[in-house]
Amino acid sequence: MATVTGKLKHLPAPDPLGPNPDPWADFREIEVLGLEWTQHYKHSLGKYSRFFLELENRRFFATRCPKCQKVWTPPRPVCPDDLTITGWVELSGRGQVVSFSVLHYAPAMLSFLKTPYVLAYVKMEGADTLFAHLLQNFGDLSQIRHGMPVRVVYNNGPVDHPIMLMAFEPADS
Amino acid sequence: MASREVVVVGGGITKFAAERVDASVRDLVTEAVLLAVDDAGVDLQTVEHGLTSYESDHFNRQMTLGAILHDHIGMVPKPNVRVEGGGATGALALRTAFAYVKSGLCDSIIVYGGETNGRSVTSATAQQFFSLSSDADWEMMVGGTYTAYYAAMMREHMRLYGTTERQFAHVAVKNRRNAQFNPVAQKPMDLTVDDVLNSIPIAEPYKLLDCSLLSDGAAAVILATEDWAARHSTRWNERPAITFAATGCGTDTMRLGDRPFPYPGLAHFRGKREAARQAYKMAGIKNPRTEIDVAELYDSYSGVELQACEELGFCEYGKAGSLAEDGVFDLGGDLPVNTSGGLLGRGAPVGATGIAQAIEIMLQLRGQADPRRQVANARRGLTDTHAGTGTHCVVNIFERRD
Repeated sequence: MATVTGKLKHLPAPDPLGPNPDPWADFREIEVLGLEWTQHYKHSLGKYSRFFLELENRRFFATRCPKCQKVWTPPRPVCPDDLTITGWVELSGRGQVVSFSVLHYAPAMLSFLKTPYVLAYVKMEGADTLFAHLLQNFGDLSQIRHGMPVRVVYNNGPVDHPIMLMAFEPADS
Repeated sequence: MASREVVVVGGGITKFAAERVDASVRDLVTEAVLLAVDDAGVDLQTVEHGLTSYESDHFNRQMTLGAILHDHIGMVPKPNVRVEGGGATGALALRTAFAYVKSGLCDSIIVYGGETNGRSVTSATAQQFFSLSSDADWEMMVGGTYTAYYAAMMREHMRLYGTTERQFAHVAVKNRRNAQFNPVAQKPMDLTVDDVLNSIPIAEPYKLLDCSLLSDGAAAVILATEDWAARHSTRWNERPAITFAATGCGTDTMRLGDRPFPYPGLAHFRGKREAARQAYKMAGIKNPRTEIDVAELYDSYSGVELQACEELGFCEYGKAGSLAEDGVFDLGGDLPVNTSGGLLGRGAPVGATGIAQAIEIMLQLRGQADPRRQVANARRGLTDTHAGTGTHCVVNIFERRD
């Protein structure tokens, strides 16, 4: 699980504040180690699971509150507005971009993403909240805009995380 | 009942840097505590309570770090508590300490915080760790990063109000310029707006120089009742008393997309507005633009400072950009913002950030800041600190009383 990969550096460190008398002068000989950590988790998707399983069937699900009728996507097993247990509803998978960002760097766990990539916040048809996902096949970056129609597209995998069984693409309005 | 007004007895802050290779997180916090004790003029043995402020076990490579820190500064067996609230951790720690003193649970408390967010991991890993503090099931795994979330917020602000990249570039220039007058600042720079606009894109519309820093550093503050301070601080009469006058806290949903439209929608920090409302009520502030003399705002990205100015009621929605261009928030302006350099220039070791903001206000109110960044006759100062994209928002207000 964890490994110490040994001494990386042995150096004299200067006083970071410069020419003042250094109260830490006795402690400026520094050793730095390398550490490697990997963990394996069994990560339950819990009550979200049906959303991800339905992506395998190329269907996009949300949850609706039986009390206020609000439709949440991503789904919520409990509507926080009413503290009421919700139920599943299928959406068309179409929507409109509200806002987006063009990313030129990916975080470590998603280093497989080709940059630049686009993260879009999408108002799904029939939903009251926004769903965030990658916008693919956008063509020209300058064409992406607020109100742009998009649709969910599915793939057969394999993917690391089932959320990657879907993404958004531009759609005809 | 005797007054339980809370006073800032003293504070200490380490040099912030991209890599403090000379120090582990425990060394950094110890360094800040020694400086705070010296500034406060107290014997730490007399301080009754400890409060540990840090965000991340991942970055610090130590769980229950508070036990080590409390032990290393000789506070055992006195009580200790750890507070965590993402980016707002330091300010939430001070708010908690305020309540501890106000309630009478203790008369004195030391709040110490630090983080090693600098170069102990790669930048991509740091982005990954911070992404874990967004919704890891729904947003992290689709390639979300905090820079991207903030970028989507700012793009919406630009659409709604016509805010420009040039306007928020002004914030990046100002804060790094202010950092030149702060000896503990990580990234003092003399920049132009074009330098910011021409820096490499990270998550558009944010460029490299719009982004705050990953820092190693620590800060500590001692709070107490005035009676305790008068009895235990050898330096209490040397300087004007600084009171911790008010505190407010607001929250919002973890996912931006779950926020109601049109307000807050994607463009607004609802939690900041709520935190400010509470703090202004407690401090009796009606017009923050004229009643606050100096403010440290949470400029995690340059545009966020503009959004914060609006939510805190310094101006109407959509007006902060042009005020920033006009120099209202500059040193010498009507309401100087981030005189320390802010997160963009001074740096942001998370657990220390909110405490560092409070220390800047303390120095400003005492009149002890470097003359090149000192705000003349500053009597009331505000700190604004948030976590996530506004999931936790804390506003703390300090006043000079003499």
